[in-house]
Amino acid sequence: MLLNRKNSGERWRIRPDGRDKVTGAMKYLTDMALPGMLTGLVLRSPYPHAAILGIRVDQARKLPGVHAVLTHLDVPGLNAYGIAIQDQPVFCYDRVRYVGDAVAAVAAETLEQAERALAAIEVDYEQLPVLDSPEKALENDADQLHPHGNVLHRNAYKTGDVERAFENCAHIVEETYSTPRQMHTYMETEGGLFVPGTDRLLNVYAPTQHGFMDRLQLSRILAVPQGDIRIVSSPIGGSFGGKDELNVQPYGALLAMKTGRPVRIHNSRWESVRVGLKRHPMVITMRTGADADGRLIAHQVRVTADTGPYATLGAEVLNFATEHVTGPYQYANVDVESMSVFTNNGMSGEFRGFGGNQAIFALEGQMDRLAECLGMDPWEFRKLNLREAGDPGPFGQPIARTDGARQVWKSLQESRLWKEREAALERRPGAACVPAGNPSTGPSDDGHSADSKSPWLKEGIGAAYVMHGAGLGVGIPDPAGGRLQLARDGRIEAVFGYEEFGQGLIATLELMLIETFGLAPEDIRIRIGDTDVVPDSGSSTASRATSMMWKSVQNMRMPFMTALLEAAGRLLHRNPGQLHMGRGGIYGRADGEGEGRKLLLPYQALAASTDEPLMAETRFSYPASPVDRVGAHFLYTYAAVAVKVEVNTLTGRVRVVDQFHTVAAGPVMNPQGYLGQIEGGSSMALGFTLTEDAVMTGGCYLTRNLDTYLVPTIAEHMGRIDVLPIEELPPGDPHGPRGIGEIGSVGLAPAVAAAVRQAVGRWVCKLPIDPAELQERPHFTQKAVAVHE
Amino acid sequence: MNENRAAERPAAPGTELYVNGNRVTVCTEPSKRLLHVLRDELQMTGAKRSCEIGRCGACMVLLDGRPVNACLTMLYQCGGRTVTTIEGIAPQESGGLDPVQQAFLEEGGYQCGYCTPGMIISVKALLDFIPDPTDEEITEALSGNICRCTGYGGIIRSVRRASELKKISSSDA
Repeated sequence: MLLNRKNSGERWRIRPDGRDKVTGAMKYLTDMALPGMLTGLVLRSPYPHAAILGIRVDQARKLPGVHAVLTHLDVPGLNAYGIAIQDQPVFCYDRVRYVGDAVAAVAAETLEQAERALAAIEVDYEQLPVLDSPEKALENDADQLHPHGNVLHRNAYKTGDVERAFENCAHIVEETYSTPRQMHTYMETEGGLFVPGTDRLLNVYAPTQHGFMDRLQLSRILAVPQGDIRIVSSPIGGSFGGKDELNVQPYGALLAMKTGRPVRIHNSRWESVRVGLKRHPMVITMRTGADADGRLIAHQVRVTADTGPYATLGAEVLNFATEHVTGPYQYANVDVESMSVFTNNGMSGEFRGFGGNQAIFALEGQMDRLAECLGMDPWEFRKLNLREAGDPGPFGQPIARTDGARQVWKSLQESRLWKEREAALERRPGAACVPAGNPSTGPSDDGHSADSKSPWLKEGIGAAYVMHGAGLGVGIPDPAGGRLQLARDGRIEAVFGYEEFGQGLIATLELMLIETFGLAPEDIRIRIGDTDVVPDSGSSTASRATSMMWKSVQNMRMPFMTALLEAAGRLLHRNPGQLHMGRGGIYGRADGEGEGRKLLLPYQALAASTDEPLMAETRFSYPASPVDRVGAHFLYTYAAVAVKVEVNTLTGRVRVVDQFHTVAAGPVMNPQGYLGQIEGGSSMALGFTLTEDAVMTGGCYLTRNLDTYLVPTIAEHMGRIDVLPIEELPPGDPHGPRGIGEIGSVGLAPAVAAAVRQAVGRWVCKLPIDPAELQERPHFTQKAVAVHE
Repeated sequence: MNENRAAERPAAPGTELYVNGNRVTVCTEPSKRLLHVLRDELQMTGAKRSCEIGRCGACMVLLDGRPVNACLTMLYQCGGRTVTTIEGIAPQESGGLDPVQQAFLEEGGYQCGYCTPGMIISVKALLDFIPDPTDEEITEALSGNICRCTGYGGIIRSVRRASELKKISSSDA
């Protein structure tokens, strides 16, 4: 059943945070202000690579309204940060490695005074050669950006003997794919308010995807115990991975500590562009071979990622890509080598999909090319090579058993769009199998014109397959947990260390509690995003939060219910076994002669008359595969995407006019949130495919704002989009709902590439698709243009 | 980047405008942007700061009923005129919502919510002029409002629902 409001019935609910969002009453952390607040700004490097010869701040410190000017000399603790490796300086002192590197920070009474102070800071630089590509950074005589060189991380996975296997292949396809520097483009740029406290040293109000990680990192920088810092981190105006790492927090924290006054920092869009994380640009070369029957035999992959100047989670993203370049297919011989390279380009880092987007764009491109070589239907070709339910994961690791791979395969095969494609092919037999290596005679004749009056518009339908891991993977601490408690005022509080950045986590948790305990929404209070209140539930990343909330609620259901019912039983002088929880309070058993409908004890009365806290807590870890392979995943989500595109061969522009997404992720916890994740993820993928690239040249951003960085608008989204969840899990599956936060952002790019191939006969291997590659010179201009050539 | 701006001038005589029905006098430079005036002078943070070049629509407000980007509107351009922000579009009685707000709630036309105030303002302006818009009219009216979360599916459904709700409420009246 398609996912929409109508089919969801009462489970389609108004979000608890909705009213404040539609009325403008919601206070984002960058909306906060306090009397006496100062404005903070950061001085950043004008050069992608330079030595610092001197920094002079005396003039800036003397300016009116300026309360602090800080440099590396003013960092009491560790002058570095990074979730995995702390290699990014808070303030640079000897060298800058990219145009976002910070050298100083100021706090002043007004923005204008802060700007003048920044302008009065003098820094002497000596420019150094700019390593603006992995190739340059890997040259023998290249400057070393870090003591351990210019390679952040290498990974490899090998099984069998690919070289020998290629000798036995009937068909081999080799292609190099490259992907853009995609920007998260959260609408709320980085920022926050930093308030020195009386009860504690520092209160930080700044978005992040893991409050406790920020607290740990800030405690190192400030050299204070973690308990002296409180991090309030929700609500968040979008993140998509981009606010996972620290951004303005070190500067806000240091300035507030130095001045003893509240300091607000809110990045301009240009500041956000130059400093913020992007999706790793990757170049992926694949050589893939099959036998004459279409069975995959050998798959060789080389991945090079441009990770920019510092680590953040670049190594983890590379591990994820290494795992996902093989996907849901079975091959006896695999040889993957991957490398993440430091450069003087912008920072690359964590971004929804986490390296899977690039990997799967390349992998699915190979599948389509091979199928075409073999003269096979691309979807049948995939089925022939698809994993079985009990097969190991891409690294040969044990993974949780589901039949998701086959389920989504079948679901797409039976979809409206795929049937439309098959019907079109029946009308033009042979159009799906075109001799490879001859793009000019590809199936462009088949790409039937959308409208006979507009013969330059060509339509095509393509599909892609996604198997995407969730959780942080083997070898990385991946804690989870939460707390349920009956508050003094009678509310049932659910307390989790997760963040709300729009995905609808609060709404999902509310629905879970309503359905698990039979509560009314008014019975519930949800507390998240405040390190003073919540347990460490781990990060809100890697499509893990909903799965972990579900598991937590399962773990706490019986203990919490038992605690409440036993306390109620004592008060009511009844056997707890004859009581149950419901809307507003405790009820008698349904079979107790009509008492089931009678409210015996409101939660408020229960809370008021118990001295001991009624609560349940759980702590556990995200399930991991029992192997020694760092980053290997255990829980996977499966999806398939079909799209119909319309290519305008006059302009080369591609329009996606129809989409079908099927996702096997177990039960739908929150229909509105699920639909929003798949629709929204697919929009992000559309930008990745067609328009988005933060263009850099010589280590400098040419893209500075949203006039040249083109995220999809409503004009690109007037087409149809169907989302079909597959909820069935194997009997006894203990893991429940799988992650869906990222997978929607993955499959659309290769599906569009396949559809473009069908429409105009051209293979796309570079994103975003360059319209010039798809333009066909109109017949009537050919002569005239030829004269000028 | 942080250019060295001109030195601050002494406070200009106040500019008088009407914000959400209230007459206010703002004593800041007339060249200040309306977005700054709303957020920092009047402490109304419903209009959001995002691109500040008129591309994303997060700061959209109504100026005499027409949608404008508050980041591109100078204070002096608002003198004597009526500004309506997201805080001012709901009916005054407590708990009331504009049909556009109600539709966004019902359809889930938002996620992080940061673009939502500007989006709702643009939708309101659209439906005030065109009660039953075509796809092309929706596209034209909202292509200046970027939403990064929803993929616009929920927004398009909200616009259609708002159009229905407005018809229902006008036929009730």
